[in-house]
Amino acid sequence: MSFPTQAEEQALHERVLARRLDPVATRDVFEAFTEPIIGILCKQRGQTREDARDATIDVIYSYLNHPERFDPQRARLSTYLTQSAKKRVLDFFRSSEARQRREQEFGGVFELRAMTPKESMEITVEARLAVERLERALTQEKDRTFLKLVLEGERSTHILAEAMGLPASTEAENRREVKRNRDRLMKLLGRLRKEDHDV
Amino acid sequence: MSNPDWLEHAVRRGQLEPWTLAHTFERYRQLEGLSEDALARELNCTRETLHWMSLCRKPEGEDFRAQVTAVAQRHDVSPLALAKVIRHVEIMNGFAESESARAANGDTAPLRLAARENVEDDEKNS
Repeated sequence: MSFPTQAEEQALHERVLARRLDPVATRDVFEAFTEPIIGILCKQRGQTREDARDATIDVIYSYLNHPERFDPQRARLSTYLTQSAKKRVLDFFRSSEARQRREQEFGGVFELRAMTPKESMEITVEARLAVERLERALTQEKDRTFLKLVLEGERSTHILAEAMGLPASTEAENRREVKRNRDRLMKLLGRLRKEDHDV
Repeated sequence: MSNPDWLEHAVRRGQLEPWTLAHTFERYRQLEGLSEDALARELNCTRETLHWMSLCRKPEGEDFRAQVTAVAQRHDVSPLALAKVIRHVEIMNGFAESESARAANGDTAPLRLAARENVEDDEKNS
């Protein structure tokens, strides 16, 4: 599937700028650009279709939210969207690479020395008790899922908001709600840790 | 109309954008407790058409009727059915906002709800 002609792209951009005068323009942008951009991204080495798809969709929504940021004097709309999607995919990749590194470092700390069976048993029991205490404190499944994601290093507002089951809302509102929830859970963890030390 | 594999993902992502019909349809489904298929039936279209329509900008403002007509014609659905869904969500959102404002002001008196008239007016005018 190929991109529209330059004239068609320019006409589509003008329809998007008209916003309320043409409510169908946004749909036409998806129809014209999504598949070709995903196709280009998928040709990059090691690229999964899922990442290519998510990056393309994200970039198109960013453009539709702020179409005035695109300057038709500098490039074609298809070039602008494709380049933005390539950068977005790179961000995804870096973020997942950073997460893998954090997990490896975390794993490395545990592998530093071999434990005696007695130590291992004590740690297992303590860990089980800690998990039980945490499960008692976190009665909501959503809280557990959210905490798991946070501890895994997830930072995407979109993913955390989804885990919280937030209704569809603005990015700013979601960010505020996610931060509030993260602060609440971190405070709870701090309290549990303090109780643990006091026991 | 084709049904590409990215369409449903674009719709899900669009539910986070208040200007989309995806957001409005999702809100309507939550309010009415409807599945996607049930909403598609209500609009007398396929689920696929519902998805494509979800990528459109939500009609609003002075030329509401013209915008609804444009979306409806493009997707071969009834403008009246589409307008009813959009208006219903607007009314309920307005109601929820005024209730929050009243609660914030400590106002606990019962609220008279007359918003339904707007939908009826639209129906008469269509």
